[in-house]
Amino acid sequence: MEFRIDKEQFLKALQKIQGIVEKRTSMPILSNVLLEATETSLLVTATDLEVGMKSSYSAEVVATGKITVSAKKLYEIVKELPNQQIVFSTKDNDWVEIKCGKVQFNIVGLSPDEFPYFPDVKEESLFEIESSLLRGMIEKTSYAICTDETKYNLNGIFAKVEVKQDGINCLKMVSTDGHRLSIASGNLKGSVGPELLKGVILPKKGIYEMKKITDEEGGMLLFGFLDNSAVIKRGDSYMVMRLVDGEFPDYNRVIPTANNQVVTVNKENFSHSVRRMAILSSEKFKGIMLEISDNGIKISSSNPELGDAMEEIDVEYHGDPISVRFNARYLLDVLSVAETERVDMRFRDELSPSIIVPENSESFLAVIMPMRL
Amino acid sequence: MERIIMHIDMNAFFASVEQQSNPALRGKPIAVTGSDSRTVILTASYEARAFGVKTGLTTWEARQKCPDLILVPTNNRLYTHVSSQIMKILHDYTPLVEVFSIDEAFMDITGSVSMFGSLERICYLIKSRISARFGITCSIGIAPNKLLAKLASEMKKPDGLTIIRNEDVSRTLEHMPIVELCGIGRKMAAKLALYSIRTCGELGRYPAERLKMRFGIVGEKLHQMGLGIDDSPVIPAEEAEEVKSVGHSMTLKRDIRERADILRYLLQLSEMVGRRARRYGVWGKTVHLTVRYADFTTFGKQGSQPHHINLSEEIYLAAVKILDSLELQHPVRLLGIRLTNLQHQTSQLPLFPEEQTRLKLTEAMDKVNNRHGDFTVMFASLLDQQEKGSHVISPAWRPEGIRNVAVA
Repeated sequence: MEFRIDKEQFLKALQKIQGIVEKRTSMPILSNVLLEATETSLLVTATDLEVGMKSSYSAEVVATGKITVSAKKLYEIVKELPNQQIVFSTKDNDWVEIKCGKVQFNIVGLSPDEFPYFPDVKEESLFEIESSLLRGMIEKTSYAICTDETKYNLNGIFAKVEVKQDGINCLKMVSTDGHRLSIASGNLKGSVGPELLKGVILPKKGIYEMKKITDEEGGMLLFGFLDNSAVIKRGDSYMVMRLVDGEFPDYNRVIPTANNQVVTVNKENFSHSVRRMAILSSEKFKGIMLEISDNGIKISSSNPELGDAMEEIDVEYHGDPISVRFNARYLLDVLSVAETERVDMRFRDELSPSIIVPENSESFLAVIMPMRL
Repeated sequence: MERIIMHIDMNAFFASVEQQSNPALRGKPIAVTGSDSRTVILTASYEARAFGVKTGLTTWEARQKCPDLILVPTNNRLYTHVSSQIMKILHDYTPLVEVFSIDEAFMDITGSVSMFGSLERICYLIKSRISARFGITCSIGIAPNKLLAKLASEMKKPDGLTIIRNEDVSRTLEHMPIVELCGIGRKMAAKLALYSIRTCGELGRYPAERLKMRFGIVGEKLHQMGLGIDDSPVIPAEEAEEVKSVGHSMTLKRDIRERADILRYLLQLSEMVGRRARRYGVWGKTVHLTVRYADFTTFGKQGSQPHHINLSEEIYLAAVKILDSLELQHPVRLLGIRLTNLQHQTSQLPLFPEEQTRLKLTEAMDKVNNRHGDFTVMFASLLDQQEKGSHVISPAWRPEGIRNVAVA
C-alpha cells in the first residue's frame, strides 16, 4: 500500500479519532487506527468496540492496501512533520514507512486482519436531524450522566421519541446519576425508526464523540440504528456506538408534579452568588443553604475549618418560607446550560426533589435532590 | 517554663475491675480472656502474675503455670464504664488530659500544682479517689515530658509513684535499657543493638548524624529519646487527630472454609462497621478485607469504591467482591473489614424511590438497634449466627472519637 496525502488533511483525520481509540492496552489492536487505501480515497477507522468512527479522505493512492498502526504515535509523528506532502507506504511484516520532505519514520504496525469488524451503513435506514438541535440537547443532559461504572444503565443518555397529539415527533433525552436528573426535548421533522419510539441508551463516550461532530458545523446529520448500535453520519464520515444494554429507570415518577412554591431568579446573578458561596463549601462540608422567603433568597455556606458566608438576593416570592440545602455543583451545572435569562426554581419542601426550568421554556427540565439540612 | 507531665497507669486494669465487681475473685489469681474459647490472656491479676501468667499466653499455657487460675471472660462494657469514670476524675485536676488507652492517660499539671498545694498532694488525691471509688490501684509517673513520665510510671508497679526531676534525668537513663522507652519496640532495639546501643545512655551519646543517616527522621527522634527529650504536648481528646478508618475484626469460634459461612460473618462485620460509620457520619471510599488463616498467616486486600459508602449492604458487597478475588488456601480463623478514605458529608439524598427506601430502612434499623441493642433487628441470614456483636471495646470513654481498640 502506498498513498500520498497533505499533512494538514492527515493530521485532521487522525485528530478526529484520538478520543475513540482504546487508552488501556488490554487489546493492542484497539489502540491502532486502520488505514485503507482504496482506488479513490483513504479510509480511516478506529474503534474501541463500543464507539467507532470511519471517515473517508481524498488522497493520491499509488497502491491500494491496508494496515493498522498506533493511532497515538502516528498522530504525534504527523503533528511534528513539516508542512509538506506525506508519503505513507507499507513494507514487509506490517512495517510502515512515513516520508515527508527529508524526514523519514519507520514504525511497526499490526496486521489489518486482526482489526475488528466494522459495519457498513446504508443511508436509507437513517433519518435527518438538525445538528444544532442535537448539540443543544446533549449539552443540556450530558453533565448529569452517571460516572459510577457499576451503574451501567445510567452511564449514558436515554433517548426516546414521543409522538405528540398533533403528530409531531418529540425527541427526549434524559440523563441521571441518581441524585439529579436532566431532560431535554426537541421536535423532530420527519419520521423515526422503532428503536427511538421504544427508547435507547446512548453510551457516555459515544455521546461525547457525537457532541464533537455537532460542534464542527451546523446543518443536518443523519441518525439511525444498525444492529445494536446507533449510527450518526455526516458527509464522508460516520460513527457507530453500541447501545447500552440495560433498562433505564422510569424517570417520569421522580419528576415532581406538585412543586407549587415557585421562585424566579436571574440566571447570571444567581450563578455568581452560588459560585461565591460555594467557595466555602469544602469536600467535607459540601452544600449551600437556600432560605427563601418574602424578603428574598438568603444563600449561605459554612465551613468549620474556614468560616462562613452569606448573601441575599431580592426576588418576588409569595409562597411559604422554605429552607433547602443543595450541592452547589449541581445547581451550577444546571444554570450553566439553561439558555434563558431567568430560570424558575420549583420546590415542594426541604426533602423533596426540586425542579429548575428555564423561564417559559419546554425544552429543558432539571430535577435536583436536596441534601439533608 | 519546665512542664510537669503526669502519666497514670491503672494496675492490671481489667483484672482489678473484675475483682472489684466480684468479691469472690479478690486475692485470687485470675486472668481476663477474650470472650470466646480460643483467645489469649488479656490481663492477669497480680496474684496470677506471681505464677508467671502474663498477657498473650494461651489459656492452656496459663493453666500450666497456674493450675488454680480463674479465667474470666472479658466484659468490655464494664471496663469502658469504669475507664470513663476514672478519666472524669482526672479532669478535676487539669483540662489537659490525653486518654492514651483504656487504662492509661497523660496529664499536663504544670498549671495545677499551685492550686492543689503540691505534686504529691495531687497524686495522693487521684490515687485515693480511684481507690476509694473503684478499689483499683494505679502507678503514677511524673517528669518534665511524656516520654519520661511514662517511663517513670513503669518503674514501680503496682501502686507506685515515681518522680523524675530534671536533674535526675541523665542518671536515670544511663543504665535504662532502651526497650523501656515507649516507642522503641523489640525490632528497633535489635537494630540498635547492632550499633552496640543497649541503654538510653548509649543512645544519647551516639552521634545524632549517624543515627540520622541510618534511620532518617526517626534517627533524630531516637537521639532525643536517648537524652530524655520529648517536646510532644499533651493533647486532650477534643483536639486529637481525626479518625482515619472504621473497622472491626473477629476471631471466629471455629475455623471455617465454606463460602456461605464466610459470607455470613462478612455481613455481620459489614453491619458493625456500617453502623459505626453511620453513627459518626462518615463515608468511606475504600474497603479492606483482612483474613487470618488457622496458622495465623494474615493478609488483606482492599478495593476502591466508585463513590463514598456507609450502608451495611454496600460495605458487604464490596467485601464479597474482594473475597471473590482471593483464593483461600486454608481455613479461616479471623475476618476483618475496615472502611478507610473517610469523608464527613452532609448527606446527599437519592432521587429514586428505591434508593430512598434503602436509606430509610437502614435508618429505621439503626434507630431500633441504638435503642434496644445491637442486632435486635438484623438481616435474616444472620438469625442462625451464634456469636453476634462487637468484640471491641466501644470508645465510650472518648465519646467524640471512633478509635478502635480491638480485643481478642
